[in-house]
Amino acid sequence: MAQRSAHVRSTITAITATAALLAASCAADESGPAAPQGDGEPTKGGTLVVAISSDPDHLNPAITTSGATHTASELLYNGLVRLDEQGTPQPELAESWEVTEDGARYTFALRDDVTWHDGESFTSADVKFAFEEVLLKYHSRTQASLGEALTAIETPDEQTVEFVFDEPYGPLLQQLDVTEAPIVAEHVYEGTDPLENPANTEPIGTGPFTLESYQPDAEIRFTANEDYFKADLPYLDGVVMRVIPEESNQVVALESGEVQWLWGVPGPDLERLRADGRFEFLETSVNPGGANCIMTVAFNLDRPMFDDVDTRRGIALAIDKQQFLDRVQFGQGKVAEAPISSGISFAHADDLDDMPSYDPDEAARLLDEAGWVREGDGTRTAQGVDGVKDGTPLSFDFLHFSTFADYGELFRAQLAKIGAEVELRSMEPPVFVEKVFTEREFDTNVISYCNGNDPEIGVKRMYLSSNIGPVPFSNAAGYRNTEVDTLFEEARTTIGDEERKEAYRRLQEALVADLPYTWLVETTANRVYHSRCRGFSHSGHFAEAAYCDEG
Amino acid sequence: MSWRYAVRRIAQLVPTVAAILLASFLLIRLAPGDPVLALAGEHGDAEYYAFMREKFGLDEPLHQQLLTYASNVLTADFGVSYVQGRPVLDVLLERLPATLLLTGTALLLSTTVGLLAGMFTATRRRRWPDLTVSGVLLTLYATPVFWLGQLAILGLALGAGWFPVQGMTTAGSDATGLARIADVAHHLALPAIVLASQEIAAVGRLTRVGLRDELDSDHVRLARAKGLAERVVVVKYGLRRALSPVVTVIGGRIGHLVAGAVIIEVVFGWPGLGRLLVTSMQNRDVPIVLGVFLLVAIAVVVANLITDLCYTWLDPRVRYR
Repeated sequence: MAQRSAHVRSTITAITATAALLAASCAADESGPAAPQGDGEPTKGGTLVVAISSDPDHLNPAITTSGATHTASELLYNGLVRLDEQGTPQPELAESWEVTEDGARYTFALRDDVTWHDGESFTSADVKFAFEEVLLKYHSRTQASLGEALTAIETPDEQTVEFVFDEPYGPLLQQLDVTEAPIVAEHVYEGTDPLENPANTEPIGTGPFTLESYQPDAEIRFTANEDYFKADLPYLDGVVMRVIPEESNQVVALESGEVQWLWGVPGPDLERLRADGRFEFLETSVNPGGANCIMTVAFNLDRPMFDDVDTRRGIALAIDKQQFLDRVQFGQGKVAEAPISSGISFAHADDLDDMPSYDPDEAARLLDEAGWVREGDGTRTAQGVDGVKDGTPLSFDFLHFSTFADYGELFRAQLAKIGAEVELRSMEPPVFVEKVFTEREFDTNVISYCNGNDPEIGVKRMYLSSNIGPVPFSNAAGYRNTEVDTLFEEARTTIGDEERKEAYRRLQEALVADLPYTWLVETTANRVYHSRCRGFSHSGHFAEAAYCDEG
Repeated sequence: MSWRYAVRRIAQLVPTVAAILLASFLLIRLAPGDPVLALAGEHGDAEYYAFMREKFGLDEPLHQQLLTYASNVLTADFGVSYVQGRPVLDVLLERLPATLLLTGTALLLSTTVGLLAGMFTATRRRRWPDLTVSGVLLTLYATPVFWLGQLAILGLALGAGWFPVQGMTTAGSDATGLARIADVAHHLALPAIVLASQEIAAVGRLTRVGLRDELDSDHVRLARAKGLAERVVVVKYGLRRALSPVVTVIGGRIGHLVAGAVIIEVVFGWPGLGRLLVTSMQNRDVPIVLGVFLLVAIAVVVANLITDLCYTWLDPRVRYR
């Protein structure tokens, strides 16, 4: 197994106002055509009003992966690291870290100037407690990805914490930000059931804002944390999150000035808002509930109809992904070029020879070869397809969330052109999960698989042969390939992006050769905010360095 | 009114509510969609789901879960929300005021406006004001509230800008005292009017028909012959007798109002029990869903009981045994 020594040392120069200013200017530079007003100097004070789509239910991001909860609560907490816009770990609660030669022990030096919102000091005991008693039990992503690999968390002193593994573990630093591993306080949660602790609605964190009030399904108010460990931050006096369920009503609230920040806008409204001139845009593939998502069509490999890779490739080649991007996503995102998102740059392979790209002639030829014969413009029927009775039409269902109905319609229309008949089955998420992962009662489906910041977080689960079963958003295709299983293991226990990249490249070559899935588009969302406000970042701490001119 | 009758009616509430509880429990538990799968979201593994199932008692047989739930309800313990981790009763009580404000206002509006519209049309029969108002009532009666809600938002909130689009208060508002009451009232107006619309039509049409019949009756003719003022004739001799069927409708329609409130709360972003119910259904948060069902069932059953008991006051000819 390829192993290489890694010695990473990152000494903090703190996240100062200068860094915040840089982040602020980056955000502004990436945004849309309207030029920010004012001189660009951050101004202290003011309140930012933000629209959120649903009530968070509670404000403890450590016990759930719910996007609604994370959106509303990440400003209250911190991770050991933060991930910058390139996904590179930067110091946060940990000011530096070292990794041993064998890649199996990570030692973090914690900041000594961090206090909880109630004035207690933050120490290594909090980190150990947060992981062992909360994150590894209740945060399903952290539990599933880190739980098995982690051997122990040791705290030699109050400012040092060590993560110990049995074997080299490459992805740890990507799993420690506020989304994947928000640190909660031991003195608040010790001896209680974390799911029922009152602090879940009266949170005590270390983050840039403290909770002022929480009115369920209406409004959440945050006040600046005066004792925040990052000098001068936050600039805003407060943030108000307003629950506005309808996206169209959110846009109205933005245009009327009632709110100044939206997490996303419906595609049809995007052009109008761009033309308005009062708003800025921040396009990102990172969301508090999951990053780097790819809309992915799964073939149920238990169905004899999809046994032959030529059939799957024929269908994949008949799909015009650009149309999905243009018509369904309104240009928000990019056509998927590999099984792993381009947002995970070290692992993404962008020049895979076998990656299907729209070619209806080749699609027809492959389907003919696979035994799906077409007469005239009708539906193809089986002639000599293994396991399928002759004369069976090439007809299958396509399960989707009701929110992905547009994907279903376009999928059906595109496949009709090559003689495949698609029956759409729209369902709400809990029913979808049961049909696909528990009962496996489907032929094809579409899922937004969020890859996360590392393939360990959100890619592996889709392909491991051990991951077929009643677990939501696991291996929907029912794909089994021991070579792929081995390559994931190799990538996990390899240290260093360059070395892991090679394993992931071979893995993606195997996946596009087998095509258990076909990958449509990498989706992004456009944050939209009023141009008198600036300094936003794409992460859960979006408003940490934000400020607004008087308006 | 016989006290024996009242006691018997109250005693009947118990099996009714128990039957509703049983039906609701089976309905939500037998519907597709595993609560733990809905709760855990992406990325968990089998060990995680088994742990959560055990934690919420979902690994026990269904009848055992039902028995546990029913015995807890008897001690006013409605369980703990799977998603929020808080006692169901606390969550319901938190949302109840918003729903009471909305449905209470709608009930008040529909009763007063409906009665006035009914009286207005009954006393101007077959003339153009009668035909116009009756036409409007008929249209309102036939219009689904979700559609009317969308139209109202488009026309009166977005178009004319007279009302806020959604919510219960202005975002980020620090208003207190009278200013806050005014702010809530401003937000309440549109959803309450839309929610009341069908009930206004129902009450108005029934009042119109009942009052017209009464105004044609002998005792009203006699009252007029005695030279009593028309207003006294209509209110004292006509309306009181015409009210009996209207009261039945108002009582019976409380259930409709609550059902309508679920839709209206979603359309107008009103933070009440209806919104809570919809999101809890989506999340398969069974304890919350059952709690809302139970609360609404009790409210409707009690409203019907009160209606029945009011009957004898309005119409002394009615005697229960």
